[in-house]
Amino acid sequence: MNKTPIKLSLIVAAVSLSLTACLPNEKQDVKVTIKKNPFPSTYQALPQQNTLFTNATVLTGTGERLDHADVLIVDGKISQVGIDLTATNIANVTTIDAQGKWLTPGIIDVHSHLGVYPSPNVESHSDGNEMTSPNTSEVWAEHSVWPQDPGFQSARAGGVTTLQILPGSANLFGGRGVTLKNVPSHTMQGMKFIDAPYGLKMACGENPKRVYGKRKQLPSTRMGNVAGYRAAWAEATEYKRAWNKYDRDYAAGKNPQAPTRDLELDTLMGVLDGEILIHNHCYKAEEMVVMMDIAKEFNYQSGTFHHGIEAYKIADTLAENGNCVAMWPDWWGFKMEAFDMVEENVAIVNAVKNSCAIVHSDSAITIQRLNQEAGKVLYRANDNGFKLKAEDAIKWITVNAAKSLGIDDKTGSLAAGKNADLVLWNGNPFSVYAKAEQVFVDGAKVYDRFDEKYQAKSDFMLGQE
Amino acid sequence: MKQMQLNDQLDDQLGKRHITLSALVKVSAVALFLVTGAVQAKSTAITNATVYTVASMGVLEQATVIIEQGKIIEVYSKQNTPQDIKVDEIIDAKGRILTPGFIGSMNTLGLVEVSAVAKTRDGGDKKAKITFDASLAFNPKSTLIAYNRKGGITSNIVAPHGGEDLFAGQTFAVDLSGEFTSIIEKQNAVLVHLGAENKGSRARNLQALDHKFADAKKALAKKKSKQEAKNKDKKDKDKKDNEVKEPKRDEQVINALLAGEKPLLAYADRASDLLALLALKKKYGIDLVLVGASDAVLIANEIADAKVPVILSSIANLPTSFDSLHASLTNMATLAKAGVKVILAPKGGSHNLNQLRFDAGIAVANGLPRADAFSALTANVADVFKLNSGRIAVGKNADLVLWSADPFELSTKVDLMWINGKAVSTRSRQDALRDRYTQKSNMPRAYSK
Repeated sequence: MNKTPIKLSLIVAAVSLSLTACLPNEKQDVKVTIKKNPFPSTYQALPQQNTLFTNATVLTGTGERLDHADVLIVDGKISQVGIDLTATNIANVTTIDAQGKWLTPGIIDVHSHLGVYPSPNVESHSDGNEMTSPNTSEVWAEHSVWPQDPGFQSARAGGVTTLQILPGSANLFGGRGVTLKNVPSHTMQGMKFIDAPYGLKMACGENPKRVYGKRKQLPSTRMGNVAGYRAAWAEATEYKRAWNKYDRDYAAGKNPQAPTRDLELDTLMGVLDGEILIHNHCYKAEEMVVMMDIAKEFNYQSGTFHHGIEAYKIADTLAENGNCVAMWPDWWGFKMEAFDMVEENVAIVNAVKNSCAIVHSDSAITIQRLNQEAGKVLYRANDNGFKLKAEDAIKWITVNAAKSLGIDDKTGSLAAGKNADLVLWNGNPFSVYAKAEQVFVDGAKVYDRFDEKYQAKSDFMLGQE
Repeated sequence: MKQMQLNDQLDDQLGKRHITLSALVKVSAVALFLVTGAVQAKSTAITNATVYTVASMGVLEQATVIIEQGKIIEVYSKQNTPQDIKVDEIIDAKGRILTPGFIGSMNTLGLVEVSAVAKTRDGGDKKAKITFDASLAFNPKSTLIAYNRKGGITSNIVAPHGGEDLFAGQTFAVDLSGEFTSIIEKQNAVLVHLGAENKGSRARNLQALDHKFADAKKALAKKKSKQEAKNKDKKDKDKKDNEVKEPKRDEQVINALLAGEKPLLAYADRASDLLALLALKKKYGIDLVLVGASDAVLIANEIADAKVPVILSSIANLPTSFDSLHASLTNMATLAKAGVKVILAPKGGSHNLNQLRFDAGIAVANGLPRADAFSALTANVADVFKLNSGRIAVGKNADLVLWSADPFELSTKVDLMWINGKAVSTRSRQDALRDRYTQKSNMPRAYSK
């Protein structure tokens, strides 16, 4: 054999190595990084007031009930919760006599479409679901939020201080959800919960297969759904590998070419990196368990199951796998996957150790009374052998919801150091006659039932006769 | 049912004297039934109850209600309760609240099992017209019925969706016994949808409705004059001109509306539409009922003056359209205060009709007097749809609910209930599923039945 070609090829190889493999001594281009927060929050707390609530029935959200208790909020944070607190060393403290009233953490809804499916329900504002492809991980619900939706005000009057706005459920991957503080603002960014992780909406079952099956495209079956999820995660895994390699090579002093940006895969990669939390519309027991396995296959956390009508059938598995489940107390029958409702669903899920049961609304109407939605579960379960208390039920709409959204270090409970997001109720919040009297976000009063000054009005409703 | 205790001293009590005259008459009647043989219906006395009569007697403490053969045969206040009551069964209510069974309305109970499953839907039809009688499709074995009994609902006005026609068909009344005899009355009101349109103008439907009545009225007048001519001139009996034709089926329904024989239930929200309907009532004398009516509060006095009842949800408080900018949690209270007869209807479909009692509680929390809230679920519905229920009074159907506490409160449940005097259960498929998944077994759940 002639040796020359070998030599030549070696030279070629050496040259190409110098061109593409980024020798350590080569000058590096500016590092390409993906901005994780291109639409940063501009939220600022409304005027805060140091406040001492005295003599209330306090549900802490951490499982405790304190009677005749006081709560002190200072500089927008919960300072103390206890009996006979004094605030003499705190400047400018307002005292609110909460005798006969109840105090709870601000209510958190993990599943809302306020702003993206607003009132009035007009085509021009129907921006909740990009139903043009089974995978629209590239869309972000926050870009559809109309902050003038009057539903935000009604929800606030019901004690809702934090809510996740999700895209709809027509797609396997519906896009990113955003967590908002329920304060009036004329921009989405003005409501955005600082440092709350993004959510990724996924959907199981009937909706994706119906919407795309009608168009004679994948998915038209549940197995088509699963093929769609897996194909996307496989692609995302490669995307992540490409970025990891780029980062590694760059760190090694090489000058690699950055992978081509893909907005859809950015979101999926965020999940694989543990930065974006899954919020999966999934009703049925067998489908939730399949979703858990897909997450294990691709090494991410399967997150929170929403609308888990059949969660009671797999309560143990859900807790073992570390899933939160967000449920209605009693909606049912609107489709096959909602046929097996039981009124004790939330209670059965909740009864397992390490569980994370949540009551959600998915409704501009019931978001106004999540306390009563939780109350219905409490009482129906107790009618049938459970021994639940108010201090248990409050967790389903506060701390567990905060956990699902990845913000339980900031809100969802009345514990020292947490954001002073709280609701003063006219009595037991689990009564049909319960009404939020005052609502606070970060220690600022955002709603007062008896003072119009604290009753915000949407631009849309202004001047209407 | 531990609250029930059979009166085993029944025979001993026969023939005993009683303190009041009316009691004497009634109890003698009961005794008569008892001795006439074994086939007669069981009589039941519910004693020591807090009775919300929703009738002239108001709320009675420690009262007694006697039911027999499907009817309420006696209502005794505490003072008038005889010492001995001759009945087959006595139930000590122990002070708990007894109300008339609640009456749902404006939903598709028994016509839809699973909303998204086409073959379980019978609430509408493209070709449905004013004559559409959906009662033929009613399924008393629907799983929704037992579930909705949990809300103390004993009867319901079922309203189909209709189709492309101006009229959505007619309502029918059912009880929630789950029996094949559930239908109380067919075709008892006519449905029309007005207001905002996706295509075209709302004016056309209002105009079409006006023309329907105008034309029918004209035809009736013509028919009348022909009839008179015919009667006058008996010789011309066979003359073709004077032949009085039988009106068509749809014309008969319009005629029934003009005669006030059945109500027209008009869905509309914007105040201008509601006023147009009030004008039609005035013009043609129809028995008008408004449904939805989000902005009715703007013209509450006009509605009250026209004596038009309003069927609405207490929780539909969002401005979901430009027709509903005045939707509010306080609307029901505002209307009632103005003197409007209000009926509480569910906001959604029929699967969670049982929540009507909570909606009533929410209305009360937002200013509706409790008595009005009870009427809105009972007597007012009965009045509009001419049902022999909705009140606890002698002669009314024995549709009754004994509650563990305040019927509107979330923590309260139905302890006992009767439909047409027969005790009915609130156990549903949901309970069976719960029991299956909460009991311990080393076998697959499918073996737990």
